[in-house]
Formats: sequence, structure tokens, C-alpha cells
Amino acid sequence: MEVTMDPLFLAWSYFRRRKFQKCSDICTKVLGDSPYDQESDSPLLISEAAWSLKTRALTEMVYIDEVEVDHEGIAEMMLDESSIAQVARPGTSLRLPGTSQGGGPSPAVRPMTQSGRPITGFVRPSTQSGRPGTMEQAIKTPRTAHTARPVTSSSGRFVRLGTASMLTNLDGPFINLSRLNLTKYAQKPSMSKTLFDYIFHHENDVKNALDFAALATEHAQFKDWWWKVQLGKCYYRLGLHREAEKQFRSALNHQEMVDTYLYLAKVYQRLDQPITALNLFKQGLDHFPGEATLLTGIARIHEEMNNIVSATEYYKDVLKQDNTHVEAIACIGSNHFYTDQSEIALRFYRRLLQMGVYNCQLYNNLGLCCFYAQQYDMTLSSFERALALVSNDEEQSDVWYNLGHVAVGIGDLTLAYQCFKLALAFNNDHAEAYNNLAVLELRKGRVEQSKAFLQTAASLAPHMYEPHFNLATLAEKMGDLQSSYAAALKAEDAFPEHVDTQQILKILRQHFAEL
Amino acid sequence: MSAAQIEQDNSMASSKWLDAHYDPVANLYTFSSCMALADLHGDGESKLVVGDLGTGTNNMKLRVYHGTGLLSENTLLDLPTGLVSFLMDQHEPRTPAIAVASGPFIYVYKNLRPYFKFTLPSLEINALEQDVWIQARQDMIDTMSLKEMLEGIRDKAEIPLSVRSLRFLMLEPQDMEAFVNLHKEQPLRRQTVITCIGTLNKNMADEDAVSCLVIGTENKDVFILDPEAFTILSKMSLPSVPTMMDVTGQFDVEFRITVACRNGNIYILRRDSLQPKYCIELSAHPVGLVRMGKNVVVGCAQETLQGYTQKGKKLWTVYLPAPVTTMGVMDLPTRGFQAVLVALASCEVHVYRDKNLVSTIKTPDVVTSICFGRYGREDGTLIMTTKGGGLIVKILKRTAVFEDRDSAPGPPLAQSIRLNVPKKTKLYVDQTMRERENAVAMHRAFQMDLSRLRLAAARAYVKALESSLAPMSASITEPLKMNAVVQGLGPSFKLTLNIQNTAASRPVMNLAVCFLFDEGLYSMRTAFFKIPLLVPGLNYPIDTFVECLSDKGISDIIKVFVLREGKSAPLLTAHINMPVSEGLPLN
Repeated sequence: MEVTMDPLFLAWSYFRRRKFQKCSDICTKVLGDSPYDQESDSPLLISEAAWSLKTRALTEMVYIDEVEVDHEGIAEMMLDESSIAQVARPGTSLRLPGTSQGGGPSPAVRPMTQSGRPITGFVRPSTQSGRPGTMEQAIKTPRTAHTARPVTSSSGRFVRLGTASMLTNLDGPFINLSRLNLTKYAQKPSMSKTLFDYIFHHENDVKNALDFAALATEHAQFKDWWWKVQLGKCYYRLGLHREAEKQFRSALNHQEMVDTYLYLAKVYQRLDQPITALNLFKQGLDHFPGEATLLTGIARIHEEMNNIVSATEYYKDVLKQDNTHVEAIACIGSNHFYTDQSEIALRFYRRLLQMGVYNCQLYNNLGLCCFYAQQYDMTLSSFERALALVSNDEEQSDVWYNLGHVAVGIGDLTLAYQCFKLALAFNNDHAEAYNNLAVLELRKGRVEQSKAFLQTAASLAPHMYEPHFNLATLAEKMGDLQSSYAAALKAEDAFPEHVDTQQILKILRQHFAEL
Repeated sequence: MSAAQIEQDNSMASSKWLDAHYDPVANLYTFSSCMALADLHGDGESKLVVGDLGTGTNNMKLRVYHGTGLLSENTLLDLPTGLVSFLMDQHEPRTPAIAVASGPFIYVYKNLRPYFKFTLPSLEINALEQDVWIQARQDMIDTMSLKEMLEGIRDKAEIPLSVRSLRFLMLEPQDMEAFVNLHKEQPLRRQTVITCIGTLNKNMADEDAVSCLVIGTENKDVFILDPEAFTILSKMSLPSVPTMMDVTGQFDVEFRITVACRNGNIYILRRDSLQPKYCIELSAHPVGLVRMGKNVVVGCAQETLQGYTQKGKKLWTVYLPAPVTTMGVMDLPTRGFQAVLVALASCEVHVYRDKNLVSTIKTPDVVTSICFGRYGREDGTLIMTTKGGGLIVKILKRTAVFEDRDSAPGPPLAQSIRLNVPKKTKLYVDQTMRERENAVAMHRAFQMDLSRLRLAAARAYVKALESSLAPMSASITEPLKMNAVVQGLGPSFKLTLNIQNTAASRPVMNLAVCFLFDEGLYSMRTAFFKIPLLVPGLNYPIDTFVECLSDKGISDIIKVFVLREGKSAPLLTAHINMPVSEGLPLN
């Protein structure tokens, strides 16, 4: 005779092994046998437990870490009510990327992103597009990222991340929120927390979650830090940053938690107060010395404020605590690469490879590092592997672009031409490839083609100084001084310290002043 | 120069001047030629007289300031080009008159009341032009033939056309009839306009001597007028149109007129010579002209300040940090100090004594006119007006000392900047060792990989060419280039295709655009349309609209093909990564 295991225990075991669908199925069965009436006042304990477990399983299925995910929507960015000073003092705002005080690299050495920051070694939300200057720029899809910026993070983005319950459940939602007696559940501490997580993460109904949390914190006599954090999370989602700040601060008074520090720092970053966020992180480090997430947070803020030197210092601190931290390794590696120490960068990327990171981007970087560190035998095989590992057209285009650079380096211009064209075939908006192709076309003597490519590059990436500068040089040679001057001014705008641009401007001004 | 030293210099520079008055909204738009300081009422207090240009088309005023307030305001009929104060006669009290040059007239004000209007003598009219207008008056010719004949005269004749004919030739054909009817009855006149004005003492060197007016005209002439009768005492001609002038000497004894001209030359005229005596050829257009004793200081458009002797010999050149906006002379006879004030576009006023920079004044806005002299009862007053219409009055401190040495910094700044050269690491040295030991093997591996890469690249390239994947076409007959931009948040997106013909001279025609997309996800109003003829070198933006039909938060690629009529293979292809729609579609 087979002894069957207690179904609820089995479900609990499945839950711990992260087999949430099976766990949820068993709970559904248990609940079907002894239905748990949401309205009745005398619940059976077993069904209550099953109900609670199912809620958790469903939540875990779509759970995303609130600490990390942060993607500012257009509405938040352009229609910002909390910003007061339009022109912040240098070094106090994330909005002014050009204010480098930490001796960041010049754009001639390290390429810039659209927002005018040096590119990072690790892609995370908000590193790619930054804050656009104009509405036009904001609405125009950033072609380097895959998606457009969300309008508001509360509507579009989170539905996408946490797949909505409507898609999965055929026979209606598990819990009917509109019929739920929030007051009753708020008074049951054993169930209220799982239910809140369910409403917040699975149903993504922030308003109800806020109401529920408010009731629960009232029931806990405003003494439970956990509810305060949840309230803060709800306020943050709703864009009420000041209220969120108040809740997180009050939660910190009850109980020091790393998570709370991270949430609060997120609020300050959204309010564009990087200095306050930095202070907060340091305060957090006093209570939790050596906490890697806090150190990473500091490093990220330094990086966003263009202070690459101190960012690298903090990333090194992170590595002292956690020597498998992928973001820190990647950022330090890319920093070494762009400060002309590609042999050290190679070490860091090899470390990533040893840790099991195995993707196209990593081989791409390894190939470049090998080439610039003069390890020629490994260069092309790395790129070959990168090409074999590509998962989409953008990656393929990046690999071809870098191969084009290698080809330019060894003087094989035919190969370079082919590579840049392939880069463009896979990604039609690769401004750098357009620019390089234009230079190659010019060498071939095809001026009109070259000019057209440069104009395209300039319109695709107005933040890059190269196409503007090349266009200025080309127009100056052709005798079109006026367009040369206009292009040179744009180049100066993108990179004020560029000496060649200054020289061309000087020559042009002399031309204009002469009789 | 160290920072502390600069600071010290700044504080010293600021301590030389007292900020007497600053009105940023004085609404005063003028140039240095239309500004003068004069004791208008003979009470020993100097007033500031300004010819305000207003908006350039209306609101021209003659304004008089006293202290910090406005004393009087007279409306001017036309834009003032120059303003001087001069003594007309020996009567007591000695109150100077104001002469405002504007168009072909000089308006003379005494006691701030209109006193006399001088008109320049009219010029000879082209006989042919006269004939043509007489015919027009008698309705013997229509407007089109009038236009043709005037154009013929303009191109050939030695005597230029009158203003009326020139204006007529500028008009649109439909306005010509009305213009002719309005003006044909009036007699034809040709008049020149005044470009600059100055004063010249008549027969005494004193400051309060009677002085003549000297005017330069658009007709390349210089006239000297009698101060009482306003008759022309002397007429001289120049090779070009004068723009600025400086006059010194006495009319009855000996004088020199230094004139900066529109052709970039400076001419020096003397008594008893109808033609210029000396000529200075500049390398750029003059912006300001100031005489310092026996030398001439010129500010050029090339951001330089140049000194010349009276005979046109070049003495020195100073390179300035910004373009010159205006210049003035700073003369303190009580202290025997003379300097040149140079206002720069970088919101600074530099004080030069010969070629030495002796002081720098920072201003809140770009200075457009500058004037130094006695204002009120204070001898050393500097008056400036700014681009934004502000008025600045500064008083030179009596304790101020100008050192004669150059206050510009000594060694160039670039000397002390250290280059940031990264050190080569030990790792790098080790790696080069490896490279040295295994050079042959590394080279072979690289060459083999390179050949394989060339093959792979060539294969991929051919494949891309065959299926026209690239966004630019490689064919010789239709060199085209396209890129696409998506705008919008959804569910409606605007697609802009930028198509450009990159051929040197050949236009491209008979092209069509078609789109390939998932019909369950997107809908397009027009998924196929023709492109107009493409002129080489121009960018043709073509807009179309895409509607997203899904509410699931998914996106897809839309392919764009540019096709040639009658051929199924596309010329070029672009892939558009559509963004995820943020809004929900309307049902």
C-alpha cells in the first residue's frame, strides 16, 4: 500500500524547490476539497494555510526585485513636478552629465551614450538613455535600447515585467479583489503579508495595495517597520516621492534594514538628489559595514555623475566583499580598457568567463582586449565565438562593427568596408558605423556618398562629436564654409575640449573675418 | 599666474571704478557714434545726449540724461547715424548745439529745441532714367518695359540709379503698378545719406572754441560745414564709403581727418588736399577707430587691435580674446592719462595704453556703446550702454593708479599642465615577453584566423548584397540611402523614412516603398506608395503612420523595402525595431 504524503506538506516542499506551478495546483485541489470562504468568519485552519501558500506561490511566479528595477518613464522625466532648479550646480545633480569633476575620460577615448555619459561596462536600467533634454528626444525611440521609454512606469512597464494574472488564469482570477474585505484581512497578521504581496506583485493593483497597507499598519499601531516599507513602495509606485521618503525614514527608525536603505536611496535618486543618496548609503554602511549592495549603489551614483575614478574605487570595495560580483568586475574591466590598460581589462573579463558568464558581449570584449593588448592569436577566435553566440541582430551588428575596427587596425580597408556595411545591414541605426563608413568612402573619393553618410550619422546620434567634426572637415575642404561652421559648432557642443574642432573653428573664423 | 594673484588683480581692477548707476532696463539701444556728453544749459553740469535707435523701425528718440534720471525726450523721424555736440557761436552763455545726422539730413537742436535742418545737396540724375520716368508719367510705357529699361540702365550706366528706381526694381510684379502710380508725379531726385559725423575746431585750439561739422556720405564724399551759415566750406572725395572718422586740428590752420572706409582701408585727409594723403590697408574690416595723440588705434574684425602712426606705418598688434564690439577713447587731461577703451563680445571692457593692457572691467552684458568724459560734475565718468538696452555709469576713483606694465599673464598656461600618460604595467611587459618568444606561432594563428574571417565576412557580405539587406544600395544606377525613425508612444506611431539619392548628379525616379509586417500586430494606412523623383544630395523625409493592434505589450520588426518599378528584388531594405506600445488601442 502506498502511503501518500500530506498534500499540504508536498505543496510546501514544491514551493521550497521553486516549483510554483505544481505547488499552486496542489493548493487549488486542497481548496477545492475544503473551500475557504472568503466571507465566512470561522475558517478552517488547513484551508487558510493552503490559501496563503497559493498566494505566495502565485506571487513568487511573477516576483521581481523592487530594489533593482527602475526605469523612469517619459511622464516622470519630462513632466517632473518636484524639480525646482532647472540649472543645478555642478556635481549636485544627475541631470547634468557634462559636469565631470573626477577626471573622467574624454569622449575621444571613451564613447558617450546619448545622455552624454561615458558608456558603462554593465547595462542596467537608466544607463542607456539617461535623461533626454527635450520632449522630441524623449519621444524618439532610443535606437540603442530595444524598447521605447515607458510613458508611466505604473501602467505599461510593470504589466510587462510581471505577466498579468489575466493571461494565465482561464477561469477568472484567484482572488477577486473588488469583493475582498480588506479591513478583515488587515487584522490577520498571519495572512495579511502574503495577501499584500499578492496584490502588489501579482495583481499589480497599487491603489488597493496602498489601502490595504494603510489598514494593516493602523492595526499594527504604526509600529511594524515592514508595513511602513510596503507603504513607501506603494507611494513610490504612485510617484508620491515625498510621502514614500517619510514612510521609509520612519521604517528605518524602527528597524535598520539594507532593503529600506536601498528603497530610500532610490527615492532620492528619483528626486535628483544624488548627494543625499550618497550620504544615506554611507549612513547605511555604518550599520552594515561592507554590505555589497550599498557599495554598489554608491559606485553607480558616482558613475552616473561622471566620476569614474571614485566609482572604480567603490567597485573595488565591492569586489573585496563579494569577489563574484559581475557588475563590479565588468565595470572595472571596461574602465581599465578605456584607460589604455587593456591587458588588465583582459584579466577581469577572463575572470568573468571563469565564473560562467558565457555570452556574445563577453567574447566581443575579450576579442577587443586581446587585440589592443597585442595578443593577436586569440583576437579573431574570440570574435568568431562571439559571432557564433549572437542572439539578435543588434549583437551581430556590434561584433561586425568591432571587427571593422580590427580590420582598420591591420590596414585591410576592403575588409573594414565590408564589416561596417554588415554592421549597418544588421542594425540600420548604427551611427558609429555610418561615420566610419563615411571616412572610408571619402578615402575612395566618393564625396557625395560620404557626405550623405555623415549627415545620417549626425542625425542618428547628435551626441557624438565625430560625425559633426568629419562633416565640418569635409565641407571645409569642399569650400562650403557656412555648413562647415555650423557642423563645427555642433561638434564643439558635443565635445568642447576637442582640439581639432577648435582649430577648424579658428580657421573658419579667420576666413570669415578676412577681406 | 597664480589664482591668488588673479584675484588680487581683479579686486584692484574693481577698486579703480565706482559703480555709480546701473539700469538694466533703461531701454536704450544705441552705438558709440550716437552718444555725446555736453553741458547743454551752460550750468557747469554735463548731460548725456543719446540718439536712441529704438526698435530700428520706430520709437527713435533723442534722449537726454542727467544724473540717474531722464531729463528730456524728443522723437526723431528717422534712424540717427551720428550725434555730436558743438559750439556754433561766441554768444554767452556758451551752450552747445546738438547735431543729429539721420538720412540725408542734419537736425540741429539748440536748448533741446529744433533749430535748423541741413539737407545734403542732391546729386546729378541719370538722364536716361529721367527720360524713362517722364515717359512713365505720360503713360507711354507699361510697368514691365519700365522695369526692363531701368535694369538696363542699372547694369550699364556710370551714374547710379535713384533710390526710387532701386526700390521699384525690388518690388514684386503685382505691386509695381501701384508704386508707379503713387510716385510718378513727383520729380525724380537722387540723394545720398550721411554715414558718419564729426567736429573740427574752426580757428582756435581751445576746448570751447567754435567748431565746424565734418560729415561723410554714402557717395564717398567728405564735407566740412560752416557752423553758423551751414554752407559747405570744403568738399573732399574718398575712394570708398566712409564708416567712421576722427578729426583733429583747426580748419583755418591745419587739420587731419582719419576715415575708416567700407573697403577695409583707412584714409588720412589733410587740409588743401582733395584726395587722401595716406592710406592704411587693413587685413580685416575695422570695427573701431580711435586717435591717441599722434597714433591711430584700430580694432579689427579679426579680434586684433592695431596701432599705426599718422603716416600709416604699423606700430604694433595685440590679439584680443573676443571680437570687438565698440571702442572709445579715455582721456584724462588733468592726469595726463590717455588710453583706449575696447569693449569685447565676452562682456568685458579692456583698457589699453599703447599695447599694454592696464585694466579690465567686467560688465553684466555685451557693451555696444561706450563714452568717457565729464558727466555731471565728475570728470572721469565712463558711460556704457549694453546690447540688452541697459545703461551703466562708472566713475573713475581719484585714487586709481594705472600701472604702465602689461597686466596680461606671463608664461603660457600650457606649460604647467602635466600630461596624463598611463604607466605600462608589469602584466603588459610579461605579455610582450610571451609575444617575443612565440612570435611565429602567434603570427601564423592570426593569419589563419584572418583568412577565415575574410571568407566569413565576404560570404555574409554577398548574402547581404543579394538580399539587399543593407540600408544603402550599392548599385551604380541607383545609389540610395535610407534610414528610419520611429516616433510616438503608441498605439499610434509615426514612421519617418529619410531617403537620399547619393549620386553626384543623376536624379532617380520610378521608385516605390512597401512594408512587410505582422498584420495581427500592426495596421498601416498605406503600406505601399510611390516616391517622387529624388534630386541628388537632398534628404526626402517620408512620413507614414502605424497603428499597434495588440494590448499584450509585445513588439515586432517592420521591414521597409525600396523597390524599382518592374523589378521584384528590392533595392534596399531597412528593419525597424518597433518599440512596445505604451497606450492601449481604441476599439
